[in-house]
Amino acid sequence: MRQLSIFLENRPGRLANLLKVLEENEIKVLAMGIAEAGNYGIVRIIIDKFEKAIEVLRNANMAVNQADVIIIDLDRLAEVAKLFGEMGINIDYAYTMNDNKVVLKVDNEINAINILNNKGIKFIV
Amino acid sequence: MYKLSKQEIIELQNKRLRAIIKYAYENSSFYRRKLSKIDIDNIRTKEDLKKIPFTTKDDVRDNYPLGLLAVDFSKIIRFHASSGTTGNPTIVAYTKKDLENWTELCARCLELVGVTSNDIIQIAYGYGLFTGGLGFHYGAEKIGAKVIPTSTGNTKRQIKLMKDLGTTVICCTPSYGLYLAETAKEENIDPKKDLKLRIGVFGAEPWSENTRKKLEENLVENAYDIYGMAELTGPGVAIECKYKNGLHVWEDYFIVEIIDPNTGEVLEPGEKGEMVITTLMKEGMPFIRYRTRDITILEDDPCDCGLNYARIMRILGRTDDMLKIRGICVFPSQIEEIILKTNGLSPHYQIIADREGVMDKLIVRVEVAENFKTDKLTELVMLQRKLEEELKDSLGIDTVIELVEPKKIPRSEGKAQRIIDLRKIKGLL
Repeated sequence: MRQLSIFLENRPGRLANLLKVLEENEIKVLAMGIAEAGNYGIVRIIIDKFEKAIEVLRNANMAVNQADVIIIDLDRLAEVAKLFGEMGINIDYAYTMNDNKVVLKVDNEINAINILNNKGIKFIV
Repeated sequence: MYKLSKQEIIELQNKRLRAIIKYAYENSSFYRRKLSKIDIDNIRTKEDLKKIPFTTKDDVRDNYPLGLLAVDFSKIIRFHASSGTTGNPTIVAYTKKDLENWTELCARCLELVGVTSNDIIQIAYGYGLFTGGLGFHYGAEKIGAKVIPTSTGNTKRQIKLMKDLGTTVICCTPSYGLYLAETAKEENIDPKKDLKLRIGVFGAEPWSENTRKKLEENLVENAYDIYGMAELTGPGVAIECKYKNGLHVWEDYFIVEIIDPNTGEVLEPGEKGEMVITTLMKEGMPFIRYRTRDITILEDDPCDCGLNYARIMRILGRTDDMLKIRGICVFPSQIEEIILKTNGLSPHYQIIADREGVMDKLIVRVEVAENFKTDKLTELVMLQRKLEEELKDSLGIDTVIELVEPKKIPRSEGKAQRIIDLRKIKGLL
């Protein structure tokens, strides 16, 4: 699954502005995580219309970047985290999603997918 | 015609120097007062100039509007003015001869960077009181190039004309050049592919080698630096040749000295200081030992291009742009150099000086690029820290970097407003 990350200044109204742009263009947010560092931060989102979101956000003068993430069921997070740990795969960050799901960004996606396949754990990429 | 040997240049300079000193003394009451204690017959060479007091911006202001005039008012046919940020503007008056000379200087400059009668030249400097627009206009016409006098503003139309008419030369400020490149991309035009800009002549504000790189990567094949100011007629005092190793000063029209801005002592070639210029050919308003407040270095060794005119290095900044932070002198160009070589940032920035208690604070606001590289916050934080460290190494003081969203720094169509000194606004200086 492709995730968008957006650079935002850490000030009142900036997140509202981002969500307004998405809403106006009928783009639905499926998951969101925010990381902040002082006067700025990064908002990570999973949305339903990926290409369109990039276009409208860039048109709104936002710095946008994309990354590949893995989505699994929240119920299996403990098990997956343990497996990844044993295999030396780091989870860089994670945030929850509706439908009892969790979004993971790992440092070695190919190995991570192989492990999930081998163990028969359901995931979305 | 202007390809003179060093010896010829010096002889011409000395002859014209003697003439202009006599002319100013005889025709201007301002210079008669200034030169009253000097035996002007003893001013025979550049070295003798140090016996003469400086002419300053304050002299011009105190004698507003036309106290420095040296001809009968009936001979004046044009006025220009440079924007005074405080108080009166500086008004300069031109005779017919002055305009002819200025045209000649601008034509020389354009010719030196390779502009010919086949070129289509778009002049996006302001037309009007500002000297940029009309100076280049007449110089380009003299060469016989095809002139598009767009002046500043209406950036999308500028780009449309470039594309539709096939503009090959652009003249504007370097910050506007970067803005043109950015706007073109928004219009889905790749200047390097879709436009034919061979030459860019950029001036009116100090810029860095990294800005040249950005301009040449994103807008023009070759970006050249040009120098001038209204008091010295306008643009056309000095320009880079194709070796881009300093700006050749037309020494048959100007004498350049570099001084220590604090003591007034004349410095040797290679030493950094304030540029002082004497105009040798101006009739309407000659300027003798005029303190430009621009900081640079004079180099007089031979240039590979074969021209024997001495070169000034890129303008490092103005004595009045210089920020004193905790007693240390900081020039915006030092900060620009570092920002522009850092990936993931846009070339737009703003420098804010403030004071908290008794401590001066330097904040640099810089935009992240629209396609910034990482989704990981740690990498962004590392970028910020690296920038802060490099600035500390270069400037010798702690600097706070504020990363802001794209397009948050105001764009400028003329000279960029890059420094905000809150200490001045708050009345602390």
